[in-house]
Amino acid sequence: MKTDKFFVLIFMFLASILVLFLTIPLIKLFVSVGIVNIFTTIQEKEVYDSIFLTLRSAFYAVVFVCVTGIPLAYLIARYDFWGKSILESVLDIPVMVPHTAAGIALLIAFSNGYFDFIDTVTGIVSAMMFLSAPFLINGAKEGFKKVDVKYEYVARTLGASRMSAFFSIALPNARNDIINGALMMWSRGLGEFGAVVIIAYHPMVAPVLIYDRFNNYGLKYSAPVAASMILVSVCLFLAVRYVNNRLR
Amino acid sequence: MLKVENLFLKRGSFVLHKLSFKVKKHSYFVILGQTGSGKTMLLEALAGLQNIEGKIYCDDVDVSDMPPEKRNFGFVYQDFVLFPNMNVKENIKYSSKYKKIADKENLFEDIVSFLRIENILKRDIRYLSGGEKQRVAIARAIYSRPKLLLLDEPLSAVDPTFRNSIMKSLKDIVKRYSMTIIHVTHNFREASFLADRVAVLLDGKILQTGDAYEVLNKPKNIEVAKFLGFKNIFPATLLGFDQKGRYFSVDPNKIGFGDKQGEGFYSFPCVIENILGMSEHYKVFAKVGDETFFCKVHHSAFDKKRLKEGMKTNMYIDKKDVAFI
Repeated sequence: MKTDKFFVLIFMFLASILVLFLTIPLIKLFVSVGIVNIFTTIQEKEVYDSIFLTLRSAFYAVVFVCVTGIPLAYLIARYDFWGKSILESVLDIPVMVPHTAAGIALLIAFSNGYFDFIDTVTGIVSAMMFLSAPFLINGAKEGFKKVDVKYEYVARTLGASRMSAFFSIALPNARNDIINGALMMWSRGLGEFGAVVIIAYHPMVAPVLIYDRFNNYGLKYSAPVAASMILVSVCLFLAVRYVNNRLR
Repeated sequence: MLKVENLFLKRGSFVLHKLSFKVKKHSYFVILGQTGSGKTMLLEALAGLQNIEGKIYCDDVDVSDMPPEKRNFGFVYQDFVLFPNMNVKENIKYSSKYKKIADKENLFEDIVSFLRIENILKRDIRYLSGGEKQRVAIARAIYSRPKLLLLDEPLSAVDPTFRNSIMKSLKDIVKRYSMTIIHVTHNFREASFLADRVAVLLDGKILQTGDAYEVLNKPKNIEVAKFLGFKNIFPATLLGFDQKGRYFSVDPNKIGFGDKQGEGFYSFPCVIENILGMSEHYKVFAKVGDETFFCKVHHSAFDKKRLKEGMKTNMYIDKKDVAFI
């Protein structure tokens, strides 16, 4: 139909503006740096350590929130309790606050002598976790909401305990949303700069290293680090998604 | 086998009002009720999935506070609730991870052949038809060897062409697997075919319990009679009885027009109010005093009596066709 074609063309035109806006900077970055330069940069110890620290810290944050946030998400999805909507709003606050403000808040809360917090991996993980946990919690919550409670009911009539029904039915069937939430959280953690830089300038995570090199040496020295970080992140995301799809 | 005493449950505005009933061992018990009358909630309460007040005894053991996994009651939901992360075989064998099942391999083979699902065991549950899903859900419940099997409208999502064969299978389960079944439905034809005993649940109250024939043919009150599809429910005073609160019902096919006198008949003058022609009969609405009778009159009888709207005539009912409520 003619009108359909016209409609689709308009939408394709509008969508392509955004797609180009999102992809051109990345393509330009990779083209200007060059693949050889990216691999040379990754092999520099400072860059390698920084990228590895970033990946490691974001991963620790995801693991901690998996252990604590998935039960929280399950409780929110399954039960109605007093203050539930307030709790859900509170959990979304980190997404809204400026990241530097979150860093200051964390500094005030935890740099009290009990934790080795400033300029430590613990501090970096905390900053990443504070700002990115809602992605995993909300993902898991939506995932559990999609799993009808009747599945767990039937599992229990078949002999499974509450905990067994959770692990054998609720968790596997919410898995895709949880993994998507975890990936979102991890990617957000990898890119975290504002809060991390307040808490730990050293050891340098990749975003801080990029900023540091840009500030001290300019674009020529920071661009290869940025390209390296993006390349590693994209490869890891694709790998995780591939494994998840194979397991489905 | 199962004894329920004063079971009370409130969820929002919905209430199950102190229900009491008994179910005999190895019998087929059907709970009949309209949609929204609390049937599913009652089954969930029996299975331990809802917090209740009152007592539930199974083989004289109080199971009221037992968790569902300890009660050994199987449950088949209306929408079957097959686990999406498992194939057919894994669904059926799920309970063997948590329960000791005697002679489980033979039992599995027997169930699979009894329910004719040999060819779909490796299939993803997303690719099953409604009837196949239903049989897998029943197989999964039977395989866990429950004492009591709770079936929540198990035939409502099944293609009507398969319903009769599935009903037969359901009936056979009781003897074949020495099981007691509680089946809830809104369909009284299902109840009539399957049930040894029937309870009628309306608005959270059990209004009548008894043998299937008795409940389905001799309702004790108007609500039950109306729910069971009884027509022409009128006060017994119309027949000359002076007991207030007593009613009678008569099948629209059993009403005749013309003069019929004698001890065996009730006869009254009436006015034909309305006539609707159908393919096999006429629907005739006849006014007797303040009440309007609905009658089905066959074409030949209709032509013979020459019934017309506004016509004054007599109608009669054989006394044996009157059901008192």
